[in-house]
Amino acid sequence: MYQLFTPIFFSCCSGDALALPRVTCPNHPDAILVEDYRAGDMICPECGLVVGDRVIDVGSEWRTFSNEKALKDPSRVGDAQNPLLNGGDLTTMISKGTGAASFDEFGNSKYQNRRTMSSSDRAMLNAFKEISTMADRINLPRNIIDRTNNLFKQVYEQKSLKGRANDAIASACLYIACRQEGVPRTFKEICAVSRISKKEIGRCFKLILKALETSVDLITTGDFMSRFCSNLGLPKQVQMAATFIARKAVELDLVPGRSPISVAAAAIYMASQASAEKKTQKEIGDIAGVADVTIRQSYRLIYPRAAELFPPDFKFDTPVDKLPQL
Amino acid sequence: LHFESDSTAAAAAGLPQVSTSLGQDIPFCPMTPMTPVTPVTERSGIIPQLQNIVSTVNLGCPLNLKFIALQARNAEYNPKRFAAVIMRIRDPRTTALIFSSGKMVCTGAKSEEQSRLAARKYARVVQKLGFPARFLDFKIQNMVASCDVCFPIRLEGLVLTHQQFSSYEPELFPGLIYRMVKPRIVLLIFVSGKVVLTGAKDRAEIYEAFENIYPILRGFRKQ
Repeated sequence: MYQLFTPIFFSCCSGDALALPRVTCPNHPDAILVEDYRAGDMICPECGLVVGDRVIDVGSEWRTFSNEKALKDPSRVGDAQNPLLNGGDLTTMISKGTGAASFDEFGNSKYQNRRTMSSSDRAMLNAFKEISTMADRINLPRNIIDRTNNLFKQVYEQKSLKGRANDAIASACLYIACRQEGVPRTFKEICAVSRISKKEIGRCFKLILKALETSVDLITTGDFMSRFCSNLGLPKQVQMAATFIARKAVELDLVPGRSPISVAAAAIYMASQASAEKKTQKEIGDIAGVADVTIRQSYRLIYPRAAELFPPDFKFDTPVDKLPQL
Repeated sequence: LHFESDSTAAAAAGLPQVSTSLGQDIPFCPMTPMTPVTPVTERSGIIPQLQNIVSTVNLGCPLNLKFIALQARNAEYNPKRFAAVIMRIRDPRTTALIFSSGKMVCTGAKSEEQSRLAARKYARVVQKLGFPARFLDFKIQNMVASCDVCFPIRLEGLVLTHQQFSSYEPELFPGLIYRMVKPRIVLLIFVSGKVVLTGAKDRAEIYEAFENIYPILRGFRKQ
């Protein structure tokens, strides 16, 4: 009788620091297993044996389109994350209960604790909400909102402007973002959608530029032409004429020291008065945010050389010598 | 340098005469100046005028502001608005803020000496009212000066090249705010060519700052 010894051996590697047993194919212990992430399997390339199963799927989340009338998609686990701005918030929030058992005898909900999510980022999330609200009032596109959020995050993390109201910093970030994207908004336009005064926004603006060590381009008259003219309902010809007038006026240095907004408003006034759609100084002042006396002052400076300021191909409804003289 | 052959004109200029082999007298002009001076073309020739000096002094004893306000002439005291007596004198036309701790701020003088004199006059007023006033730690805290370079300036060009020092926002303020680093002075530069310098503790800082900015402004002159 021969006894058969079944040798018992551990499949542990001698050179490894880990003591975890690795799964190997029983027929091919040296083969490196191929991971099939779709099915969650580990397959031996030599013989095709499925060795491990129910491996966690590391692929992207998939949507089930089978059940269209269900409003809630049960395979979704939460809101789209914004990891760039939130510092990787992976906490789980417990929502309020919906059944009858979640309310105690007085009608108060039993489980109340869903407030403390991430106290350090709470102010930032609040500011993002405020930025979104402000931007929505003046119909700003997503790229400006994203840039504003990024700027706010940088300023908030730097903590150099910690004492200032977050709304003021948010408004100033919005102003800077509009400037950086090449579509500047005037301080007064930002004031109109924010509760902060122009003075405070201006102060925060300068502080933020210093803190982030960035700079912005100088505003020009042409930056505001399309917005002001379309708000006034002026046709493209008048808008192009006003842009030309304002640029020429600055080139000829007829308006030294005047704010580009005032010069733009005066140019729009001159162009509209020479065309069929005449706008009053008050209307232009309301749209541009300048006083009508300011438009009058700048208009008086450009009026003497009005003939050379108009573009050569402009169709005059009122000739240059009949323009109003204020 | 051009050598005048007319020796009398050169002699009238006060330059020493040297005889050449041809018998002419030419003036002796050294190629390098004897004493190091800034060349005439670089010196601006403009001196900023002081407009305001702010100084503080410690009178060294606690004061009863209500008593001072009632007894002294030209004194106003509204504790609900501000916690100091505001006193004015006419001679160096100045205003002083006198606090109950005995510290005083004197503003409005046009020179350092006037500021010191005015502070002494205020201290005398307080002393005459019966307080043991002294004159400790007189210090000038701020000096403001202004001047005119007499040519228009292209502020847009200046803010483009000196971005890290300048701030020009026509919506906020019509002038360019230039924060100079070496003498730590803030300059307000306007299109008309007027310049305001502030933040100095010393007259020399103002002059140095202006001499530093003048060539830069010359480079941005409007044609």
